[in-house]
Amino acid sequence: MIDFTLIFRILVFPGFTFILLLTLFCDWLERKLEARIQNRVGPMVAGPAGILQPLADFIKLLTKEDIVPRDAKKTIFKFAPLVAFTIMVFATCFLPIDGASVLSASGFNGDLIVILALVTIANFLLFLSGWASSNPYGAIGSARVLTQFLGYDIPLSLLALTPAFIAGSLSIAVIASSQIIPFIILAPWAFVLFIITMQAELEKDPFDIPHADSEVVGGLETEYTGGKLAFLHLTRDVQIVFGAALVVELFLGGPYGPVFFGFPVFWYSLWFVLKLLAIVIITEYISCVFARLRIDQVLSANWRVILPAAILSLMLTVALVTWIYPMVV
Amino acid sequence: MPNNNIDIINVIETQLKDKVQIQLGQLGKAAIVTNNGLHRDTLKAMVEADEKTAISAITGLDLGANIGVYYHIRTSNAFLTIKAEVPKDNPKIQTITDIIPGSAFHEMEVADLLGVVFEGNPSPGRLVLPENWPEGVYPLRKDFKANEVKLSPPKEEAKLPDEVKLVKIIIGPQHPALLEPEKFAVTVDGETVTKVEPRIGYVHRGIEKASESRTYLQDVYLVERICGICNSIHACSFVETVEKILKTEVPPRAKYLRVVTLELNRLHSHLLTLGHAGLEIGYETLFQYFWRDREPIMDLIELTSGNRVYSSLMTVGGVRRDLKDSDIPKIKSTLSELRKKLPFYRQIYEDEPSIKARMKNVGVLKREDALKLCVVGPVARGSGVDIDVRKDEPYEAYGEIPFKEIVYTQGDTWARMNVRMDEVEESINIIEYAIDHLPTGPFRVKAPRVVPAGEAVNRVEAPRGELFYYVKSNGTAFPDRVKVRTPTFSNIPAFLKTAIGENIADIPPNFVSLDPCFSCTDR
Repeated sequence: MIDFTLIFRILVFPGFTFILLLTLFCDWLERKLEARIQNRVGPMVAGPAGILQPLADFIKLLTKEDIVPRDAKKTIFKFAPLVAFTIMVFATCFLPIDGASVLSASGFNGDLIVILALVTIANFLLFLSGWASSNPYGAIGSARVLTQFLGYDIPLSLLALTPAFIAGSLSIAVIASSQIIPFIILAPWAFVLFIITMQAELEKDPFDIPHADSEVVGGLETEYTGGKLAFLHLTRDVQIVFGAALVVELFLGGPYGPVFFGFPVFWYSLWFVLKLLAIVIITEYISCVFARLRIDQVLSANWRVILPAAILSLMLTVALVTWIYPMVV
Repeated sequence: MPNNNIDIINVIETQLKDKVQIQLGQLGKAAIVTNNGLHRDTLKAMVEADEKTAISAITGLDLGANIGVYYHIRTSNAFLTIKAEVPKDNPKIQTITDIIPGSAFHEMEVADLLGVVFEGNPSPGRLVLPENWPEGVYPLRKDFKANEVKLSPPKEEAKLPDEVKLVKIIIGPQHPALLEPEKFAVTVDGETVTKVEPRIGYVHRGIEKASESRTYLQDVYLVERICGICNSIHACSFVETVEKILKTEVPPRAKYLRVVTLELNRLHSHLLTLGHAGLEIGYETLFQYFWRDREPIMDLIELTSGNRVYSSLMTVGGVRRDLKDSDIPKIKSTLSELRKKLPFYRQIYEDEPSIKARMKNVGVLKREDALKLCVVGPVARGSGVDIDVRKDEPYEAYGEIPFKEIVYTQGDTWARMNVRMDEVEESINIIEYAIDHLPTGPFRVKAPRVVPAGEAVNRVEAPRGELFYYVKSNGTAFPDRVKVRTPTFSNIPAFLKTAIGENIADIPPNFVSLDPCFSCTDR
């Protein structure tokens, strides 16, 4: 017998379609917000207040000519963007959006480690896609992706352990549901560090070094056109949604909120989306008010400041959770 | 402290007595006629006497049997021309790059356009003409016929092996960091720049040659098209040069009106660059803010001249349009609005941490190097070299208007941008002063269309630095030779020097801090 509920959950809600729509909406929100901060109007033609603009851009790119450079490593060049996109969507499916993850039974103790690993793989695929295009700008852009994310992956994992330690579990669902008091209140230092590290991991200003158009033109995207470029863009957007969603699950109590009655799926999703949008707004604001740093500055900041701070944060959390909080709570 | 009271004429007279002929009052303070390689001795004497001796331009011109090579030299307090001549059938002259390193580009241009061979120039080769231009055809010679030029087919670029291709980054002719087409082949080791090879001339339009076949009045509008951003300064410099030959005295009101237009031009040019620098370091918000506030200045240019970009206000003998009294309140209110916003921008450029991280100690040009490479304008002033034509050799009404000369000593990108930041405020002061003290009377005098034979040089301070014009007339309504040396042409060597050893990411901010304008450079 075919389980139609499962198919619906995977394809429509809270699976593929929902994540895609949320991604496009966040893209629109970011563009509109950036435009307003910069005294512009932003997208305003496609749909009410330009809300369909990201979708229109995506479709437009799909209709464009798809060129594979003669010198490119063709297989990697063609498939890396698609696989990276798939992996990002797959990683998002582990997050409990409407109270449970997309495949209800897929959550297990340790899925936090799995999704962090998936993000690493996706980033590595992005690096490969630029490297395979055999273009100097693509090569430098990819090398920058790799350098930057090698640096920030370790602090990100360390900081993700803070909520896991407080909750006493490596399962995202357990971490989210155990936040009667959201962990942003119990460990605000970890939250701030996590946002900064996330900003670097998602390659947003002041860390958008791999995309510095005045230095490396399009970075790893330089040789990409048409549908493959569309998927590279979409991967980036999904990454941003995924990052924000991870922050929501780890620090803001996931889909659980203060007002809650009646139809539970609706309230879970609503709280989840609202918290996610708040995080997107914060990260976009940060990226608007800073100039881009240089790769050596970013790396030295990472090894000298962020990594020690992440270790300190973990130590502080362990101390507090073991000895202080039991006395208070 | 550098001695600013050197009598350079005296120095030359004592050291090279009877060997050179000094014609006082011509082509600047004096023209020194040399032959048989004495131009090198003269220059050496000048460089030893005055550390601020720098080359402004080298004009090559067709004198019939000979080719004239005029070295226009600025010292700390004078502007002189060293004249040399070479026979047309054997046009060889010794280089001066060993005495003044900044003259390499100037020599290459003369070699390209007039076929003068500079013996000993370290980098002979094409600068402005295309690679497939035929040998032995020189556009600025009088016997040049444009319709007989046959270009050889362009050479296929040699295919580079993979390991070379990945370390050689071509910036330009089409690149997001450059708004205009020029090419810089940058060799990198990891992220460190090891070599920069420039190639200019992609938008060379031959304006110097074209102006020889147009009347002086037409040329005013032609030279205005050299640069879209600093257009009125080009027109102003040209008409000033012609007025020097004509010995026309411009009425005082016209002088003040010219100052207003020139400073509006500087304002919008500086705001453009300050914003553009934000774009280059990924600070798009800053870029959008600056360009928003630049827009009212564009409106003022339209209000005062009738045109938003090309003001077309200058004409020989004055300006073409008077300033209406009813427009003055609008100008004043717009400027005071801009002045209110300046402290915020100043704070960002001085204190914002990510700007400081990207601009401090980037592209450091030491004072000695700035002097050696003969850089001009904000680039020189950012390195502690106090040259500003408005102060050194006041033209128009600048002698009567009080203003500060902005000099920073750090020599990095941050200093160069902050020079511009401070100059924005000074420009507002100058415009307000000029409007408050606007003399009454006519705004133009009638000037003859036919210019008597003669020659003159002129320098003005464009937003990007010293702009040089040389005009030679031959008694007709058409000039015999017009030479333009734009500020960016003098400033490119500074970029080539400072980019080496820095990060690739430093190229865009370093480059934009020169405020490069390639349409100017190529002419």
